[in-house]
Amino acid sequence: MLAYLIRRLLFAPIILLFVTFFTFVLGHYGPGDPVVILMGQQNNPEVVERIRKERGLDRPLLPTLENWSVFPPALSVQPGQYVDYIWKVLQGDLGESSTLFRGQQVSKLLFQKIAVSAQLGLLSLLIGVSLGMILGLAAAQNQGKWIDPAIVTSALFLSSLPIFVLQPFLVLVFVRWLHILPTSGWGGILDPRIIMPAIVMSLGPIGIITRLMRSSTLEVITQDYVRTARSKGLPELAVRIHHIGRNSILPIFTVVGLSLATLVGGSFVTETLFGIPGVGRLAVDSFFARDYPIIMAFVLITAVAYFIANLIVDIGYSYLDPRIRLN
Amino acid sequence: MKQLSLFFAGLALAGLVAVGCGGSTSPESGGGSGGGTGELTILGSDPPTLDPALSGDTESATYVVEIFGGLLTLNSDLQIVPDLAVAMPEVSSDGKTYTFKLKDNAKFHDGRKVIAQDFKYSIERAADPKTQSTLADTYLGDIVGVKDKLGGKANEVRGVTVVDDRTIKIEIDQRKSYFLAKLTYPTAFVVDKANVESSKSWTDKPNGTGAFKLAKWQIGEKIVLERNSGFHLEPAKLTRVNFILAGGSAMTMYENKEIDVTGVSINDIDRVRDPANSLNKELIESPDLSVGYIGFNNTKPPFDDIKVRQAFNYAADKDKIIQVLYKGLVQKANGPLPPGIPGYNTSLKPIPFDPEKAKQLLKESKYGGPSGLPTITLSIPGSTATPPPFSEVLREQWKTNLGIAIKIQQIEWATFLEDVKKGSYQMFQEGWIADYPDPEDFLDILFHSKSNNNNGRYSNPQVDRLLEQARVEENIDKRLKSYQEIEQTIVNEAPWLPLWYGKSYILVKPHVKGYQPAPMIIPNLRLVSIEK
Repeated sequence: MLAYLIRRLLFAPIILLFVTFFTFVLGHYGPGDPVVILMGQQNNPEVVERIRKERGLDRPLLPTLENWSVFPPALSVQPGQYVDYIWKVLQGDLGESSTLFRGQQVSKLLFQKIAVSAQLGLLSLLIGVSLGMILGLAAAQNQGKWIDPAIVTSALFLSSLPIFVLQPFLVLVFVRWLHILPTSGWGGILDPRIIMPAIVMSLGPIGIITRLMRSSTLEVITQDYVRTARSKGLPELAVRIHHIGRNSILPIFTVVGLSLATLVGGSFVTETLFGIPGVGRLAVDSFFARDYPIIMAFVLITAVAYFIANLIVDIGYSYLDPRIRLN
Repeated sequence: MKQLSLFFAGLALAGLVAVGCGGSTSPESGGGSGGGTGELTILGSDPPTLDPALSGDTESATYVVEIFGGLLTLNSDLQIVPDLAVAMPEVSSDGKTYTFKLKDNAKFHDGRKVIAQDFKYSIERAADPKTQSTLADTYLGDIVGVKDKLGGKANEVRGVTVVDDRTIKIEIDQRKSYFLAKLTYPTAFVVDKANVESSKSWTDKPNGTGAFKLAKWQIGEKIVLERNSGFHLEPAKLTRVNFILAGGSAMTMYENKEIDVTGVSINDIDRVRDPANSLNKELIESPDLSVGYIGFNNTKPPFDDIKVRQAFNYAADKDKIIQVLYKGLVQKANGPLPPGIPGYNTSLKPIPFDPEKAKQLLKESKYGGPSGLPTITLSIPGSTATPPPFSEVLREQWKTNLGIAIKIQQIEWATFLEDVKKGSYQMFQEGWIADYPDPEDFLDILFHSKSNNNNGRYSNPQVDRLLEQARVEENIDKRLKSYQEIEQTIVNEAPWLPLWYGKSYILVKPHVKGYQPAPMIIPNLRLVSIEK
């Protein structure tokens, strides 16, 4: 177990280096330039050159040897933009926003926005998972009756509704007809404005979890060990919790565990339609504005989040199902 | 302010919705629900910067002009008037030296008096390469010594002299009629040295001279401006202005009384125009100083032939696009200069819609007719997946009237910007909003053959010469007349297909008084009051 953990952790820096390098190179060679974006339609190549130089964007991407000669022996190394970036990140400096919020600390911007998206994401996940599990269990226990297809179909229907349909519908009902909610905006997890976006975002998980929970429960209740448990004379509640429940949530644990990573990514569409200052909008905006420091930091944090979520899922598995051994 | 021209001038359906819904593209599309007396809550969006030296986009300027100020400013009629200066400057006989006297009661928000040294510091700071201003060249570059400072060749700006605490002299390189207009732009605003040097994030607590102070900025949530009671002109009537940055559907928020002002999108324009609708009384229509157009690359076939360019103009039925497609939300453009710009020519002779003439011109061109033409591609900026409807209508009109099938390609904004400046496109859609109300800002910047912003590579030595003369012409009437002649020549030679002039449609709640939509970003919030 410990050996497994160490091995995984040793892999992390390699993965992160690869991810950051790939993003960095794409940004460097891809079309569009942050300084040209700053200039907007004004065109002045001299100014662009001057600002690029001031920001060090004219330097080479990778380490290069400069001014080398054999006689007299001389050599200097220019670390290049990528190495400089990684060195700064290692010191905890994610840089400053280059176009969207000129000069503001990326770390401050990003964590502020992640906090917003994570609150919304967590609430939706909570609603989605708890409702999905209840519905899935209810469907499985009523297999063969009308309730089963009714639950499965409606869960599927709701989770297939695109947000473009849902958002105006919810606004129509809650804002225009009932007058009980404001149209949009953000005020934290305790503010009523979180209700509509949370509903919208929980429908997806409800659909998935309901179906997963149903099928895994159906699979588990026909297992030998459940029959054995019952025939041993265990109380029905103990059978349901320890034998059926624990085993049927395994696949759900995977889905939920990995969804935790998406919390730091936010949701662009929901955030845009409901006016939520989350990280999803920041990420998309920073792409269009070629704000590379924000893009890099976003990619880095998302990669770390997925790495951690995967690790938690793997370790959690071995606790939930002793048959799984990590090595 | 050029970043956003396309939203106004592009008028892709998505663009219209963006103006109407997001409110992010114009301050006028915001709105407010003044809860208490003297409080206005309007929609806004996060500014990329609050540093006047860096502010070059509409969002930043919206806040910067209210928090900071300069020697001169623009009033609601877009006339240049004194701000921190006592009066308009004394001008030397050669037209190169301006002497400004500062107002006695000119103070920063913290109460410190503004002195001439503050202006010298501010201009030198804006021109310091370390400040990384994209605009110092354009707005301050006429001042003697600014170019040297920008190029790292000088420590100070020679052309700015402090005569005494209350007097400052600014010397420019040659007589330029439009120089004072440039001083109304944020790049020339005054900042407090102690404030700027206090921390890297000094704009979180800016010490300006404007009618409002920044009370709060929660990124993505709201910006709150508070009245500066020590303002040197008549202080604002509002105690607070709340800008909601989170966005959402502006029209719904307006109707739900969450905001007081909103832009109107094409989806709502019909019901709002209906006199029977109560919203109709709250509608204000006003022009923007902007123009939308299709640019032809005058050096690339087939648009290197004037007759082809003219034929494309004659073959376009703009009335249909504007009336049917855009329900008159914009005004048909005859030439590059929008109404409201000094020198706007009401008797300009446009190229009319005339399919027969178009066909004939195409035949007379060196390409001999539709079959002799190379493939033509119209490049349009945007990321909406489908090209804006007007471009499809134009494609059909050219197909019907000229027998030419053009291609349309949509290009993401950052890439488009790079390529259009390089002159890579044969034909492209762009727009232009006035930076300052002067015809020079359109005609010289967009059509002089040496201008960096002449994306269509139009070149006419005679037009160049007239433009250069107009720059220094002292007599205002003669100068404007000269620009009218230049504009007529440009229209005749058809480097563009001018499409429309922007207009803004906003709804303002009846209890908000004095909310004047301006065609440019000017400090006008202090004139607003709430009467319930």
